[in-house]
Amino acid sequence: MSTDLAAGAPPAGGAGRPAARRRPDLRLSARGLGTVVRLELRQRVRSTRWLVALAVWVAVIALVTVLVGLAFASEDLLGPDPVGQGPLVFSLIVFLVLSMGLLVSPALAATAVNGDRAAGTLAPLQVTLLSPLEIALGKLVAAWVASLVLLLAAAPFLVWAYAQGDVALGAVLSTLVLTALVLAVVCAIGLGWSAVCARPAASAVLTYVSVASLCFLSPLVFALTAPMVLTDEQVTVREQDFTGVTQEFDDRGNLIGEEPPCVEAVRTQPVFHSERTWWLLALSPYVVVADAAPRPPVDPRTGLTTFDPLSGIREGVRAARLGPQPEDYDFCTRSEAEFAAQEAARRERLDGARAVWPWGLGANLALGALGVAAAARRLQVPYGELARGTRVA
Amino acid sequence: MTAPVSSHPPPAGPFAAAAAGGVLARGVRRTFRGSVAVDAVDLDVPPGQVTALIGPNGSGKTTLLLVLAGLLVPDAGAVTVAGVDLRADPVTARARVGWMPDVHGTWDSLTSREVLATVADAYRMPRDAAAARVGELLELVHLTELADRPAHVLSRGQKQRLGLARAIVHSPAVLLLDEPASGLDPRSRVELRDTLRALAASGAAVLVSSHVLAELDELADRAVFVAHGRTVDVREDVQRGGTGGAAATARRYRLRALDDGALARALADLGAPGTPVAGGTDVVVATEAAAADLVARLVGAGVPLVSFAPAAGALEQVYLDLDDGERR
Repeated sequence: MSTDLAAGAPPAGGAGRPAARRRPDLRLSARGLGTVVRLELRQRVRSTRWLVALAVWVAVIALVTVLVGLAFASEDLLGPDPVGQGPLVFSLIVFLVLSMGLLVSPALAATAVNGDRAAGTLAPLQVTLLSPLEIALGKLVAAWVASLVLLLAAAPFLVWAYAQGDVALGAVLSTLVLTALVLAVVCAIGLGWSAVCARPAASAVLTYVSVASLCFLSPLVFALTAPMVLTDEQVTVREQDFTGVTQEFDDRGNLIGEEPPCVEAVRTQPVFHSERTWWLLALSPYVVVADAAPRPPVDPRTGLTTFDPLSGIREGVRAARLGPQPEDYDFCTRSEAEFAAQEAARRERLDGARAVWPWGLGANLALGALGVAAAARRLQVPYGELARGTRVA
Repeated sequence: MTAPVSSHPPPAGPFAAAAAGGVLARGVRRTFRGSVAVDAVDLDVPPGQVTALIGPNGSGKTTLLLVLAGLLVPDAGAVTVAGVDLRADPVTARARVGWMPDVHGTWDSLTSREVLATVADAYRMPRDAAAARVGELLELVHLTELADRPAHVLSRGQKQRLGLARAIVHSPAVLLLDEPASGLDPRSRVELRDTLRALAASGAAVLVSSHVLAELDELADRAVFVAHGRTVDVREDVQRGGTGGAAATARRYRLRALDDGALARALADLGAPGTPVAGGTDVVVATEAAAADLVARLVGAGVPLVSFAPAAGALEQVYLDLDDGERR
């Protein structure tokens, strides 16, 4: 029986290997998940190194926060009692915390699978009753918990920035929640690469490249593809009619006499159809966090909202999503009152525009799910073909 | 130790053996990107016995154990483990198999107790039963005093013993050990031997791969020899010199007498010419009965005999014979 089977075996190369058709093992239990999470947290977190890392993390954020506080306390920078200082400080701290989280989180998960394989601690788990999903999700949850600890350690600085005034309380909450979700995605991407790559160094590099691509490459691609969505179109513009008008200016350059009248005209103009590529911007975690933060309250002294980086990003991506607007073709000079009215209308339209962050968050979560699925697939035993450069144990 | 206790060799038919538990592998083949690691291995590991898997480096022992442990899909062949078809129900099979790898990776921030408790948890053992089992195992492998210190303080031998405990947390019916004795001091080896014999006596099917033959002599009931990914010989009843091999076991004995000249003359007279070697004279004897007879005759002939013992272990003899065949 035996020798016949062996003689009739398919030629080497594994084309006929039954593993190619194996069904995914989708078992998942709370107990199995808990087993892996406890193991991972004990193994990875119970070391003084981790406490040192946490201390350095808090120290860096504290240092930057103090510097920001000192900079804005100095009257030389913005003058006495500057408008919009609170939102500006808050934005800076949000970016700081998010950036640091995006820098540190990949390190927590990017070697979770291949590092264990190299240390010989992966196969002993795989031969137990733990399912591949339990091992993958357990590693993800453990890495996420670690990055949440970092986020919580940074939360007091966000609260301090909130206390600088003029920041909506919802902005603190949305920032914390969305940063936490973004960090989960980063951990999941790292987990996926760690299961796909044989070497920890390779998966660490790929994880950082992936995160950097999400953050910076997608906005860059948005900018670089602008010429492709820039089309010459006939649009109705409002412009001043200078025919037969001779303008005179006084010594200070002020116009003497009446403005020329505003007229409508149909002209061929380049039109930027950003509504076709706005989703590239939405992929960036910075956009997700910024877009979800509620707008700072209107400044009572000017009747306008003040500028801060978070609001700037939000208005930018929402305008990109809306695409060309009528006021883009209004070239008439306007009085201050006219300008304010137009600005208010524009802002109302932007506020009414549907949020961009759910799309970005959804896309990010999908990427994270892809990472977990890849990890679970690679963790399923028995192995069919082994990835190049990997051993079983 | 859920398998029934059996001190007899298993029934001959594959289905009968499967019903009895243990490991039954037929025609197992496994390749890695075109290179053949295991070509055609037939292997029986009956419950209640210790089976030695013997072969030179690169003969496919580790790969075969990975297939049996449910970590690698065989390209061809059929494997039944503790009565479960490995291909049809790998998860149930995994629950009944304990595997001790040749690399001893340990979660080094965990204590020995936590390592074993984690594995018990991973096998879904009830918590309180698991705690008792862990204490019992720590006692068994003499790690009780180090139980609550992180595993990275353990010596190589202690890690090895922890690895053994980890493999048997869930009381598997089939135990697979890959080079379990490497790196162990003599006392630990003796304890490992006693532990494995006790497990076999309680009904487990134990498979030990090794190329340290001296200790297998005292440990194994059966020996399966593999070379180039193939089963090349099987010996039953190893403890009593080995029977049932492909070739009859003529064994080499080493004799020492106070008077070498008298010994050589007596051997020549008895028609069993000896070969002088460093440390004595070697004689090849066909059976144990013939050996006993030779001792009696030599003593009767007045030879001042001080030592009459196998020149090599039974398994070593077979191994070297096979290896000779390979290298010729």
